[in-house]
Amino acid sequence: MQKLGEFKLPHFFNYPPYFTLQPVRDTREKQIQLWKELILDYCKTQKLFVIALEEEFPLFTNTVIERSLTNEAREAFLSALVSEGRAEWMDKGHRKCLILWHRIQDWADILLQFAKDNGLEDGVVTIEEIRFGTESQGTELHGIDRTILNRALKLLEQKGKLVVFKGTSTDDEGIKFSV
Amino acid sequence: MRRRPGIGGLQTAAAARDQYKKLGENVAKTRTDMMREQLSTFRSQLEDFARKHKNDIRKNPAFRSQFHEMCAKVGVDPLASNKGFWAELLGIGDFYYELGVQIVDICLATRPLNGGLINLQELCQLLRQRRKSDRGVVSEDDCLRAISKLKVLGSGFEVISVGKKKLVRSVPTELNKDHNEILELAQGQGFVTVDEVERRLSWTSGRAIDALDTLLDEGLAMIDDGHKDGKRRYWFPCVSPISSLTGIDSL
Repeated sequence: MQKLGEFKLPHFFNYPPYFTLQPVRDTREKQIQLWKELILDYCKTQKLFVIALEEEFPLFTNTVIERSLTNEAREAFLSALVSEGRAEWMDKGHRKCLILWHRIQDWADILLQFAKDNGLEDGVVTIEEIRFGTESQGTELHGIDRTILNRALKLLEQKGKLVVFKGTSTDDEGIKFSV
Repeated sequence: MRRRPGIGGLQTAAAARDQYKKLGENVAKTRTDMMREQLSTFRSQLEDFARKHKNDIRKNPAFRSQFHEMCAKVGVDPLASNKGFWAELLGIGDFYYELGVQIVDICLATRPLNGGLINLQELCQLLRQRRKSDRGVVSEDDCLRAISKLKVLGSGFEVISVGKKKLVRSVPTELNKDHNEILELAQGQGFVTVDEVERRLSWTSGRAIDALDTLLDEGLAMIDDGHKDGKRRYWFPCVSPISSLTGIDSL
């Protein structure tokens, strides 16, 4: 099985026609489904949060079989993820896509669990600590995309589970939990 | 026999006819009886054989295949019914029934990827993967027998030959001769181009495109526009070598 670094690529990745957007509906639906799963899987294991369509993204090209996804195909697969709520376009031109391999709600749950695991139910912690601190090391929160974190925080704020307060710089922004 | 005139004569003729008729029936009956007896001898010998070699039949596909041939010669079909002597003795009615169910499963699972046409070899491989722990090896012959039983259900399952390969069809798609020829051509590299079809089969462009479009619509072909030579390729998942393409690693 072919690998991309440590990531095991599925068999369809080596079959040239999968790199061409299929015209027949049923075939295309299957193709889209396979690519959606692959994209989510890959992003999750590599902790990638943003895909820029025009840039080199390892999944979009297979040098072994010399095939590359057209822009149309890339947009089709990502749009499908967006429709499913597993991604969001970051711009009107559909050139950048935020990948939600965890949905925002899932991230919110992970944050709450993090608070519980670290005895922060009524505590304070900075954004910096959540993203890069020692406590978050080894958890999925470590290295989390800023945009996604903000959205999860907003969600929890709306539910009254925490309050975001600003510090002297953006990295000093803090959270007070009230779980 | 001398014909005698009058009613007496008629009665004698009738009696004679009756006697001939009875004689004829007797002869026929004797012949049938003899045949029945022979057949019954064959059958009981076959039954003895089956009893003695029950385990071998269950475990060894080559032996199993030869056993079937022997049965066929004597007009016995051990798979004919799930009840009765054979099924009970050998339990092989269940074996083929089970295989049949697994085959249907695999065909349904792979249908979105290959349009309902799967290479027999690939099918057997996937079947073996599924039955890994199980009682004995499954041969292609076993697959074919199980599929022939499925046909009886009218489930649209059929084995077709394309060139040197056998493909199992699990959809009602009718493949005509043109389609078959393209599939055979595709066995070379797994794909064909319109040019190639025209050239190798000496067809007009219209005929080639028609056939390819149908195969595409039926989900048996996929297009590939990514080659640097710019020519569209039509790939056929059902003729590609095993495991080069299925997105399903374990069924």
